[in-house]
Formats: sequence, C-alpha cells, structure tokens
Amino acid sequence: MKAIASTVKLHLNLREYTFVVPLSITGMVAAISVLISLIFMRSGSVPGSAEWIYGSQANPGILYALAGFLVYMGVASVATTFPFALSLGATRRAFVAGTLVWYAITAAYIAVILAVLAAIEVATGHWFAGFYIFDVNVLGAGDTGRLLTIVFLGVLSALTIGGVFGAAWIRFAARGPQLIAVGVVLTLAILTIVIVPEAAAVFAAFRLWWLAVAAGVVIVLAATGSWLLLRPAIVR
Amino acid sequence: MTNAIELHNITRTFGRSTALDGVTVSIPDGSICGLLGRNGAGKTTIMSIIAGQDRPTSGRVEVLGERPFENEAVLSRISFVRDNQRYPDNYRLHHVLRIAPDFAPNWNADVANELVDGFRIPARTPIKKFSRGQLSSVAIVLGLASRAPVTLLDEPYLGLDITARAMFHDVLLRDYSERPRTVLLSTHLIEESEALFDRVVIVDQGRIRADVASDATGELAFTLSGTTDAVDELSANQPVLRVHAVTGLKSVTIEGQADDALLERAEQLGARVGVASLPDLVVAFGAGTPDSSRPTTPSISQPAAQKGVRA
Repeated sequence: MKAIASTVKLHLNLREYTFVVPLSITGMVAAISVLISLIFMRSGSVPGSAEWIYGSQANPGILYALAGFLVYMGVASVATTFPFALSLGATRRAFVAGTLVWYAITAAYIAVILAVLAAIEVATGHWFAGFYIFDVNVLGAGDTGRLLTIVFLGVLSALTIGGVFGAAWIRFAARGPQLIAVGVVLTLAILTIVIVPEAAAVFAAFRLWWLAVAAGVVIVLAATGSWLLLRPAIVR
Repeated sequence: MTNAIELHNITRTFGRSTALDGVTVSIPDGSICGLLGRNGAGKTTIMSIIAGQDRPTSGRVEVLGERPFENEAVLSRISFVRDNQRYPDNYRLHHVLRIAPDFAPNWNADVANELVDGFRIPARTPIKKFSRGQLSSVAIVLGLASRAPVTLLDEPYLGLDITARAMFHDVLLRDYSERPRTVLLSTHLIEESEALFDRVVIVDQGRIRADVASDATGELAFTLSGTTDAVDELSANQPVLRVHAVTGLKSVTIEGQADDALLERAEQLGARVGVASLPDLVVAFGAGTPDSSRPTTPSISQPAAQKGVRA
C-alpha cells in the first residue's frame, strides 16, 4: 500500500499538469467558444433564440480539446514515469495500481471542475450573454449527474487508453503502439462490417447507458492491458 | 560475513545476444565494490537485475536475502539510478528532491542539499536539458542521499569535473563511515576510484573475469616487459591476457603469479616482471575473448602478500 500511495504522489508531483493545465485548456476552449458565438452574433444570430441554443449546445469543442491532452497525459504517465518509478523502488504492481488511482483522481477533479463551471454558467444565464460552453449536449445539457458521469468516464477512458499506449511503448518500443493501433482499427472495422446491415435498428434502439458500458469496457481492457504489458517489462 | 548481494549462475539473453553468461558473484554486506569492465561488458545488466529492473533468463539472484523482482520490501532498500536514467517530462530538480524521500525511508535531506550545492545543480532548468555532468550529479544525489542499504552507482562520474568528482568521493566516504552500506560502483575512471574499493569485480563479455578483495588484485596477473625474444621465451605456454609490442620490445600481461623459475629466468634475460595494476587488469581482461579452458572467476577473498613478483 505504501508503494501505491508513493506512486500516486509521484504522479501528483507535477501538480500543474494534474490541476492547472486542464483548467487552462478549458479556459482556452471557453475563449474560443465565446469568439465563435460573437461571430454568429455579428452574422445575425440572436442569443437566446431557439436556433442559437440548438446550435450552441451542439458544440463539442470542450470534449475534443480535453481528449487530446488527456490521452497525452495517459501516455506520459507511463512512458516517461515508469522508468523513474522503478529507479525509485516502486514495484510494477504498485506502479500500475498507483497510476490507476491517479487517473481516477484526475477524472474526478476534472468532472467536479466542469460541473461547477456548468452550474455557474446556468446560474448566470450563460455568462450574462447567452454563451453556451459547458451547458452543452456532450456534457449532459444541464444535467449535473449526467455531466459528472460523462466527464469521469470520458477522462478515465482517455487516460487509460493513453496509458496502454505508453505501456506498449515501454514493452515493445515503437512497434507496441503501432500494433495496438492496428488491432483497434481492425476490431472497429470488423465490428462496423458486422453491424452495418443492422445499423438502422441499432441506432433506433440506442440508449445513452450503452456509452457508459462501452467506456467501462474500454477502461477495464486498457487497464488490464497496461498491467499485462508492464508486468514483465524491463528498463533498458 | 554475510553477503548483501548474491548472484548464482545468472544468464541474461536478449534475443540471440547474450548479455550475461553464467555470472556468479557475491558482494559482502558493508563493502564498497568496484564493478569494472568495458562498455557492453554487462555491468548495467548486472545492476538492473540486482535492482529488480530486469529478470535473469536463468539463475538466481538474492539481495538482502530475498529475490528483488517485484519485492517491495527489498526494493525500498535498494537505490539504483542508471547512467541513462529517464525522468518524467518537465521534471526539475525540486520535483526529484520532493518525491525521492517518499520511496527512500532513510533519505537524508542534509546530504542531498550539500550535494546539490556542491555540484551546483541548476534549480530552474528542466532536467531534460541538463548536461551529462548535471545528470550524473542528480543521480549521485539520489544514490547517496537515499542511504539505501544497497546502493548501486552506475557510471556516477560521467561528465563530472574534477572538483565534483573529489566532492563525490569525500561525501561517499564520509557518509559511508556514518551509515555503512553496500555500495556497488561501476566506472571507467579506475585509477581515480580505486582507493574507494575494498572489493573488485571485473566483467567482460557477460562473464565474471575476476572477483577479489581489492588488496589482492596483484595476485591475479603480472606483467612481463623486455626485448621481444626474452618476453616470447618467458611467456611461452603462459596464459597471456594481453600483448603490447613496439619495435624490438614487448610487454605482456599474464594471468596468475610468476613462479620462482620464471623470475630467475627473467633476471637472466634482463626482462622486468611487475605487478599488474588494476587498470592493467581491466584492460587485459577486456582485451580478448576469454579462453574457456581457463578458470574464468579467480576469487581471492583474503588479502595476500605479493608472492613471487618483483615490481
């Protein structure tokens, strides 16, 4: 347990990366969203109108901007930290467990931050000007419970996916991530080929909780993959 | 005396390449042992296996009486920073100094601060932009301030200036006398660090060529120098490790000790017989492929007089 706690501290050692960078990315996305909204205003759109709300809430920018950074964080959390953790005396088991705990802490932190910002946005009438940044469809469109679930599982998925790519790099160098990427693409292609004939029925039956299950499966697969890759990994 | 580190018939292969080939060596508890040999000899692989960062293909390793791989209790008592150690992205010195005590139960901040000041390690520069000498300095800080019962120092001198090297020696010896521990140190600066060692292990091509108390290295080999004819006659049928020749003159390093007959004949031929220095030994053992017909691990644990050898 001590080594797991120390590994969590090792990840939290770069505090600005865990706590400040996600905020700054969120701030940048907010600024860009406001600029886009201003462009629409100047082109004749009316804040508060049905079209304005529909268009604004369809903006998934916050998701894309954070996802890229979070996958990078996941890769770095293993690829550059694992060799140092082993030098400090961590076991592979403690490293993988501690890294997962840190992923969960980061996911919870970002979920709470976005929930607070979304609450402020709604409470201020969307920043007193009709700007929709956090009260958007991909974040639950004002449903705090849904937002917390989406962001927590989304962040955890991005970090664990990055982590398994980092673990593959540690174990097999450049070939590792390439093999995983090829495997994922092939799996998705085969799934698509199988599902396409029934696509209309699948879309009709789709429920949001399917995404939560899918995220759970991705998280479990990626975390298990990281452990299997790192368990015999050596540092050279 | 108990052994802090024991390797029994360790072999490590990477694909078709054999990094370690039947390595058996014991490092006594509380000793400062030099691990010497050429680049690629297997020194870092030995240290990696001791530190649980790698696993042998076959053989057994015990550190402080237990197997180190994935053994939290043992790993917390080992310090090993590789010569090419990687640090997390964007790490600066304060990140290292903040996290290291969490993993090292015996961490001493005073030793760390003294070394940081003495080495003049920059505080604001990201570690990935450090020079070779600055990286070595960080490794030494981690290695010595950890006060780990088993401290593995992998090429700690790389890039260090002479002042920094002298300070490293001073702090190592002072702190070792205050808190004795087992130190395994690999280096190519043999003459400079020789005085630190109470034991020496020489490795070449993945095999242990010598494992002796440091004051017994003179018994491993001797040198013969003189005219080519004289040296050729004297070294005939001897286990020659290394030959160095210039026009009409020759010098050889021969494994073992010179017997009285050889000394007498050398005197008649005007050849000089000398004790092989530690650098001579490392050069000689690394000069060629070990002859498998000879014993590959001379092991002399007790200091002995330099019998039958005239300097």
